[in-house]
Amino acid sequence: MSATAPALEISGLTKSFGTMRALDDVRLVVEAGTVHCVLGENGAGKSTLCHVVGGSLVPDKGVLRLYGTPYAPRRPADALAAGIAMVHQHFSLVPTLTVGENLRLLRLRDLPRRVARVREEYGLEPDLDARVSDLPVGVRQRVEIVKALLREPRLLVLDEPTGVLGPAETDALLATCRRIAAAGHAVVLVTHKLGEAARAGDAATVLRAGRVAGGGPLAELPPERLVPLMIGRPAASLDAGLAGTIGLTEDRPSPGAGASAGPGTGASPETGTSGAERRRGPGALRLSDVGVRRADGSYALDRTSLDVGFGEIVGIAGVEGNGQSELMALLGGALAPDTGRVELAGRDITRAAPRERTRAGLGVVPEDRHREGCVPQLPVAENLFLGRLDRFRRYGVFLDRRAMNHAADAVLTGHGIRSGGPGALMSSLSGGNQQKVVLARELALDPLVCLAAAQPTRGLDIGAVGAVHSRIRQASAKGTAVLVVSSELSELLVLCDRIVVAYRGKLLGPVDPSQPDARERIGALMLGADHPAGSGTEGAGRAAATAPRPVPGDAPRH
Amino acid sequence: MSAVLDELAAGGVRLAIPLLLASSGELLSERAGVLNLSVEGMMLTGAFAGAAGALASGSAGVGVLTALAAGLLFAALQALLSVVLRADQIVTGITANALALGATTYGSRLVFGDASADSVPGFDPIPVPGLHRIPVLGPALFEQTALGYAAFAVAAALALGFSRRTGWGLAVDAIGEDATTADRCGLPVRAVRFAAVLLTGAVSGLAGAQLALSEVHAFSDNITGGIGHLAVVAVIAGRWLAWPTILACLFFGVAQSLQFAAPALGLHVSAPLLTTLPYVVALLAVSGLVGRSRAPSGLTVPFLRGS
Repeated sequence: MSATAPALEISGLTKSFGTMRALDDVRLVVEAGTVHCVLGENGAGKSTLCHVVGGSLVPDKGVLRLYGTPYAPRRPADALAAGIAMVHQHFSLVPTLTVGENLRLLRLRDLPRRVARVREEYGLEPDLDARVSDLPVGVRQRVEIVKALLREPRLLVLDEPTGVLGPAETDALLATCRRIAAAGHAVVLVTHKLGEAARAGDAATVLRAGRVAGGGPLAELPPERLVPLMIGRPAASLDAGLAGTIGLTEDRPSPGAGASAGPGTGASPETGTSGAERRRGPGALRLSDVGVRRADGSYALDRTSLDVGFGEIVGIAGVEGNGQSELMALLGGALAPDTGRVELAGRDITRAAPRERTRAGLGVVPEDRHREGCVPQLPVAENLFLGRLDRFRRYGVFLDRRAMNHAADAVLTGHGIRSGGPGALMSSLSGGNQQKVVLARELALDPLVCLAAAQPTRGLDIGAVGAVHSRIRQASAKGTAVLVVSSELSELLVLCDRIVVAYRGKLLGPVDPSQPDARERIGALMLGADHPAGSGTEGAGRAAATAPRPVPGDAPRH
Repeated sequence: MSAVLDELAAGGVRLAIPLLLASSGELLSERAGVLNLSVEGMMLTGAFAGAAGALASGSAGVGVLTALAAGLLFAALQALLSVVLRADQIVTGITANALALGATTYGSRLVFGDASADSVPGFDPIPVPGLHRIPVLGPALFEQTALGYAAFAVAAALALGFSRRTGWGLAVDAIGEDATTADRCGLPVRAVRFAAVLLTGAVSGLAGAQLALSEVHAFSDNITGGIGHLAVVAVIAGRWLAWPTILACLFFGVAQSLQFAAPALGLHVSAPLLTTLPYVVALLAVSGLVGRSRAPSGLTVPFLRGS
């Protein structure tokens, strides 16, 4: 066909799962030589769209054309043969194989030459002998990109590729996208981070609830216009920290005082609650001298102490793998420490079973909630109330499903969880909605003395991030101690009263996020720099078990 | 003494031959993610079809072909259920074994009548000139039947041809480990799994033929007597690796032949106790006491695209 044919042209695309319409009459045109962003919230149908293009899902209706020729993939191999490379949200690497073996699975001719070309053109040089399961997620993502580039694709589809990347890695990836487009090929970048779209994209299509909500050249679509398309309400309803988390405002372009979210506008109402009803004081969650040894003898947690007070929100920053996962496992009851004590409101729970912890009022949202936080093959209602089924008894023996579904319905509505109802299988929910279910379950504990959440907003869309933050603030306003582990520094800065930094099994700090140099100090501590001033100077940066400071005002921080 | 060792080695290898055949196929099938619990049934069917074919045609070679065909047919049924229709592999495996036992027992009444003790045409050992005179190793390795030599060749060919260094070996491992990823790499997941089950059926059929045509020259009810299960056990004891699985087969063979050689060696161990040895080893292997053991992640998990 002619050289002016679009790289990918989709029209009338419809795909249903049961009664749920994941894609409804979707139209999308990706011009060759461009980066086309597909934006939308969780559950908007972005991943389904990717799966259809990649041949993993066969659509109910719709026509696809690739560089002018009809394209109807029945299996992923068809997409590959047509010159389409996919980078999926969930990694497509066999963890037990080495990087090199994973690349060999592609069965490409002259693989060494292709690897060399990717290294020269994109500066990506994977360690071929490393076993994938040993690699951090950021590196795995880079291997995924290499795998896609080795095919020299005409069309590259990336599904939420930056969720696990740091800022520098994200920059590199976006630059790679631009380079592919410059070479005349096309890139479809699926994301919910508007900042990335603005930096790398030429055009965008916004999906909302399976339909195209709008789109066009990004030059004509500033964030103020994109956000309402994505979430169906004005951008002004987002607070500053939230805007930072989704990449609306970013560190380097330094926007003029948060363009879309001024300081005074719609900051979340919960932070300013009067302290009258709050239970105060230290000791809601207390870790004393906790040590966890790894199999190789090194310390995952090195005699760490931390005190989270009632109503206080403490953040744990740090590069992944510095003891955060072990800390969460310790709180969840999956791991017993070699030394030290864990106390919840003065009660020793060091070796308590998970059930006792839940009863005592410790809610835990694990990092990998899909695997550790829920039972995918059970309905949403059961997942919500699995630990509290005795509430829904009939004649003392049978489950009162009607009452349970009713209660679940209330939770689903209250938390804005998009699902097929209380009876829908957990596995049928999108990742973000599964996460909301787990958080809702933990927040519903009574009493809730302490909530520990790891990466509470990872992979969430704009609307959901705001909802999660305000729920955490609400809980804290009621006196719940909150511990947040997050790799999003902007999130911690806006949410927390106090931030400590995990570094080689120790918790350094604390840092007061309201200080203007908080970001720089946290950055330095993440690299192991000794905390220069402050109370806890005795041991090499052991987090002092300080009483919580009074909650600072909710002035916006940048 | 050396005569006893000769006997032990020769008997051990001879008993290991059906195991070698069946577990080479089973290993490949499990690496691709399909747990073939019906190896016992495949072998039994192969033994029956082999004996029947040899009896009807008067030729042991035809018996081998009918055994092969029966094993393949049986495997095609198993693959249809577990790969295409995604039925539970454990349930189908156990049921297929029970079915095979019943059907072959009934069939042997029809085909062989009461004269099942009569011998059918079979294979006799072919010593390799010269080599078979080597002490211990000679009788063990170089005094086998044609099927025995074929078993060595099959086991070695599969171990080498599907090692992780080869493209196909890598593909099989990827499919058994993470079928979705393999699919996205463009690998034909179901076709490979189907083929792996068929291959298991073929080699298990041959293993059955070895029992009926090389060992006793007759079919008797339940002639396999659990050897097929032992082949599955050998894969576990071999930790899903080719050469350790071959070693496990040889070890199991020797352990079985020990019950015949024990009196001559002056060992007073009860024979039934010796036959439990392979299972004890397998239990130690799965409990992690004989090195780290890990089954392919996708074992028994049917593949469905788009999930």
